[in-house]
Amino acid sequence: MEPLIPTKTLKRVSPKALLTKSPLLQSTFKCQRFFFNSHLHALPNRRIPSLKIDSKLKTSQDNKKKPITQKIILSEGAPPLSEDVAGNEETSAKSQNSSSPMPVLRFFKKIPRRFLALLSNLPLAIGEMFSIAALMALGTVIDQGEAPDFYFQKYPEDNPLLGFFTWRWVLGLGFDHMFSSPVFLGMLVLLAASLMACTYTTQIPLVKVARRWSFLHSVEAIRKQEYADSLPRASVQDLGIILMGAGYEVFLKGPCLYAFKGLAGRFAPIGVHLAMLLIMAGGTLSAAGSYRGSVTVPQGLNFIVGDVLRPNGFLSTPMSSFNTEVHINRFYMDYYDSGEVSQFHTDLSLFDLDGKEVLRKTISVNDPLRYGGVTIYQTDWSISALQIRKDDEGPFNLAVAPLKLNGDKKLFGTFLPVADSDSPNVKGISMLARDLQSIVLYDQEGKFAGVRRPNSKLPIEIDGIKIVIEDAIGSSGLDLKTDPGVPIVYAGFGALMLTTCISYLSHSQIWALQDGTTVVVGGKTNRAKVEFPEEMNRLLDRVPEIVDSSL
Amino acid sequence: MIFLTLEHILTHISFSIVSIVITIHLMTLLIDETVGLYDSSEKGMIATFFCITGFLVTRWIHSGHFPLSDLYESLMFLSWSFSIIHMVPKIGNHKNHLSEITTPSAIFTQGFATSGLLTDMHQSAILVPALQSQWLMMHVSMMVLSYAALLCGSLLSIALLVITFRKNIENFSKSNHLLIGSFYFCEIQYVNKKSNVLRNTSFTFRNYHRHQLIQQLDHWSYRVISLGFIFLTIGILSGAVWANEAWGSYWNWDPKETWAFITWTIFAIYLHTRTNTKWQGANSAIVASMGFLIIWICYFGVNLLGIGLHSYGSFTF
Repeated sequence: MEPLIPTKTLKRVSPKALLTKSPLLQSTFKCQRFFFNSHLHALPNRRIPSLKIDSKLKTSQDNKKKPITQKIILSEGAPPLSEDVAGNEETSAKSQNSSSPMPVLRFFKKIPRRFLALLSNLPLAIGEMFSIAALMALGTVIDQGEAPDFYFQKYPEDNPLLGFFTWRWVLGLGFDHMFSSPVFLGMLVLLAASLMACTYTTQIPLVKVARRWSFLHSVEAIRKQEYADSLPRASVQDLGIILMGAGYEVFLKGPCLYAFKGLAGRFAPIGVHLAMLLIMAGGTLSAAGSYRGSVTVPQGLNFIVGDVLRPNGFLSTPMSSFNTEVHINRFYMDYYDSGEVSQFHTDLSLFDLDGKEVLRKTISVNDPLRYGGVTIYQTDWSISALQIRKDDEGPFNLAVAPLKLNGDKKLFGTFLPVADSDSPNVKGISMLARDLQSIVLYDQEGKFAGVRRPNSKLPIEIDGIKIVIEDAIGSSGLDLKTDPGVPIVYAGFGALMLTTCISYLSHSQIWALQDGTTVVVGGKTNRAKVEFPEEMNRLLDRVPEIVDSSL
Repeated sequence: MIFLTLEHILTHISFSIVSIVITIHLMTLLIDETVGLYDSSEKGMIATFFCITGFLVTRWIHSGHFPLSDLYESLMFLSWSFSIIHMVPKIGNHKNHLSEITTPSAIFTQGFATSGLLTDMHQSAILVPALQSQWLMMHVSMMVLSYAALLCGSLLSIALLVITFRKNIENFSKSNHLLIGSFYFCEIQYVNKKSNVLRNTSFTFRNYHRHQLIQQLDHWSYRVISLGFIFLTIGILSGAVWANEAWGSYWNWDPKETWAFITWTIFAIYLHTRTNTKWQGANSAIVASMGFLIIWICYFGVNLLGIGLHSYGSFTF
């Protein structure tokens, strides 16, 4: 078979051009020249002055960690040693995940290998993920958190769904609260165990293999790679420079070349797994150690943080900030021109035990208040009272009640009794409001009487009674929480995003061997299997052909 | 008013261009590969991309918020994402089968968005308080981008499956009448035609071509799904961070969240099946085609129910 001969139309890439491109290289070269060791091979190509040379004597102890005794590194300001690159990767992955997995790993060493192998089994992990997905889907199909009666009626025993699914399944397996049911949580724990086992038994050994990079010394071994080609009348140094220009880390030893790119993509899946574990740990801490509470407070009133918060789990411990008293200075809304609500605001003041104001902030949806580990969110609102003057008497506060009509929109109403309020058939003026902007008034017969804005001071006369609506007093619905898991979960989120992105990188490795005047090139990659040959062909096309036979 | 007219003009232009592009694709498929026509279809996709970009920018300017607050806008954005995904590999000069997926997908989403079903939603709506955040841009755009990429990837996988098990198609394609089915249907028709073309070529090359096509489809669906998976991860996580700002909890097991997580899990399974060489190809493609259905449930199904905290995008027929 005739080997493919790539076209060589490009002119020779001068190493000087490369040098002028990176001034950094010249400086490194100058200091590196000091460390030239006398016993090294003479460089076959003297035209490349940018070689950084590093050598180490092979000792038996060194053997395991550093299989390469001497290496000539063509480096363009990149990290010089592959070992270093790998080390950095690992430490950075560890530092992202602040809770180091090492104690876990040590713990795992005591568990029999067979159990570990079972856990790290890929089909098992896939099965776990499938069942978690199925359980979650079921959790959205079955209505959550209803009373048992609801399930008795919806999943009756005499008419089972699909022939078997009755309320006994729902309540027995805790599917009425799927996301805290033992089945679901058990699956999650199992998945976490699988993640750890897989990271330990499969992924970390993979790193050790990937870090042990080596030259291939035989043409056959290179030709066996997924991608293989040979370049007649070429020099391996030129190839090295071109690969370097394409972002590869290049290592040269005599006639052998080894280059790689995207090593991080090989390690990132480990980071993904660790980040998942971190998120799971943070989620557990959130579930076990948080406080939650919600409160609806009319404008002008106070509440104590600790009275509202209820512990969520056994790890919940009260904080000093629970003594803080919160005062609602003002609750108000912003409106669009069309009259729709655009935003809710609550002006809050926080007082410590001595009655000193420690913090004042106007919160709104998407802009919570944080103080001493407690976060206060704006989540809801209602109208607590209408302040009215009746025939210039008052002002009176009329308590407002929420009315539930069809639809989600809020409606509040109150009633001003007219005449004898003790009679069984009491009549009066009804007032309805959708928001704090306008109040609709109806007379004793229930007929529409008019609309008034609070603060407008404009009186309205209904059945001979003059009414002025002074103010509509809103109350702010606040959610309070403390969550010690959030920093851990956020760290996990950050790590997961980063490592998922890095996982997209394809780890490409290239070997080359100078065989006479021919350079044999072989390479493989783990992800971009179609793009890699294209890239290789493009790069190899740029390798200059040696015209004169002076070599 | 000017803005509305401009929007109309832009959607009409982009829709007609995509239709022309599809016609060109079919023509090249049926007759022969003509380079000139292929080039013009490429130019058409670029024009479509600019039209939809123009539409989104106009919408952004005159509504004053990021144009991703309801279903209509998100469908247009999805269409835009398809055109982006179409263009990105072209920059790297990789020849692939993505354009056969992206163009029909773009026309279907756009057709659905501009069809009579959702006319009342064409008016840009006001933004409810919970959506008034910078996170809207990040979260929703990432989610829609990921949907687009994952849909493309899983469609490639479906194409792979169809080519692999072509004998069973005839019964299969008849049973699809749904909206989701129409995607399948177009896909199947397309692939049928493609294979017909292949069948006409000499017999000895057929199997080789088929094998190569399957490998190409497999690889590109893997790459596109990996990309979509990144977007999905970022989208879900930014959503979680936003939820922690707005609702007081980073995870609420809200139906939409849960289905996004199910989608994530399914594609995580897909990526794991890829690590085993035995399962590459058909097996992983089955997982990806499951993912295709699940994305639609996540994108539309949950909104149809109109439940939970993500009810902004809900619509009624």
